Amino acid sequence: MKFINDLNLKKQASDLGIKVWQTPGFLFIMMGVVAAIAMTGTYYMSKNYDDPQLLVIAESAVAITILIIGNVIVGIVEQVTNLNKAKSEFVSVASHQLRTPLSAIRWETELLLTKMKKGLTEKQISNIENIAEQSRKMARLVNDLLDVARIDQDRLILRHVSVDIGRISEEAVKSLAPILKAKGIGLAFSSSRKSAKVLGDPEKIRMVIENLLGNASKYTINEGKIEVKVSQKDGSVVFSVKDNGVGIPKEQQKRIFEKFFRSDNIVKYQTEGTGLGLYIAKNVIEQLGGNIEFDSVEGLGTIFSFSLPAARHE
Amino acid sequence: MQKILIIEDETALNQSLGEFLKEEGYRIVSAFDGEEGTRIAKKEKPSLILLDIVLPKKDGYEVLDELKKDPETKNIPIILLTNLESPEDIQKAFDKGATTYLVKSDYKMEDIANKIKETLK
Repeated sequence: MKFINDLNLKKQASDLGIKVWQTPGFLFIMMGVVAAIAMTGTYYMSKNYDDPQLLVIAESAVAITILIIGNVIVGIVEQVTNLNKAKSEFVSVASHQLRTPLSAIRWETELLLTKMKKGLTEKQISNIENIAEQSRKMARLVNDLLDVARIDQDRLILRHVSVDIGRISEEAVKSLAPILKAKGIGLAFSSSRKSAKVLGDPEKIRMVIENLLGNASKYTINEGKIEVKVSQKDGSVVFSVKDNGVGIPKEQQKRIFEKFFRSDNIVKYQTEGTGLGLYIAKNVIEQLGGNIEFDSVEGLGTIFSFSLPAARHE
Repeated sequence: MQKILIIEDETALNQSLGEFLKEEGYRIVSAFDGEEGTRIAKKEKPSLILLDIVLPKKDGYEVLDELKKDPETKNIPIILLTNLESPEDIQKAFDKGATTYLVKSDYKMEDIANKIKETLK
């Protein structure tokens, strides 16, 4: 049984959503066993009975059995493929359908908070602001889920246009500044004067930068300090964000880019978070030909950085 | 006063965007399906069109094709405003002559108003 365990059929079965006896691995073993028994049987038969007819019948029976098992394998593979296709279609249909009511909620609240603000009490405004904030979060969640579904199916398609990392970082830092100020966290931004352009997908790169900044801000507490830097190194543009926040426990560092993973210590500080941001970030950066890394000491802080090949000067 | 045509089948979205842009000083014309949108575009010749993709009767791509084929409407800037966001859809829209492509749930109406201002400059 150890041999069977090593093959990890149970995991395969649960990954594919089928029973253990249906896994291609198990069926191949069965096919092998049947073939071996059949050959042994044929050998004994040919030794004891000198009848070519019987041999032909035996061989045919073996061939049919193998054909049946092979057919079952093909059927299961087809079934699994269809299931995956249905899953991916479900995700994209669901996210598109979710977006319409979400857009409506966002726009209606925006209308109330801007053009129709007159006559609303402060309490009402604050209630509507909460709705706006929550719907913004939900829109982001829908986007993340869709990205994850695409990554899992190797269908994440990225654009390749000129993107100025320096400019995007500056904008992201600016929009984060009020939140950090309110939390009493210091923020320093520096960018080398040279152009920091890369070829990539502007929206996705912005998302990665916002995610890294968002993490630094979420997991840095009192008297924190965040340093954001954009620089050039060996033909690459390097973005980095350094904080003196809670850090990542050493034993959990290797899992940090896993889907849905959130380290124990951050769950304590901040219940909110899906564990999707870094998974998406890693996939986006690597697909654009770059790499993402980090260095962290629990209790002292973390530095995350990614680099992308610099675009040639036009 | 500049005229903007909104082609969007979702009533709530069409209305709230219309109200917002009215307050920004535009004249608004609304259509709720692709056929109506094409007809109104040809009749009213708006300064700019906001166009959804998933629409009854005629989808946004068909509307785009038809308006870009007609010499009377081909120069009207068209901003696609949709919740489809795959790179394929974005590329297809630009290939067919869309000026800009915005994903509804990612943008505030204020951002959309800014894009309109930028386009009409």
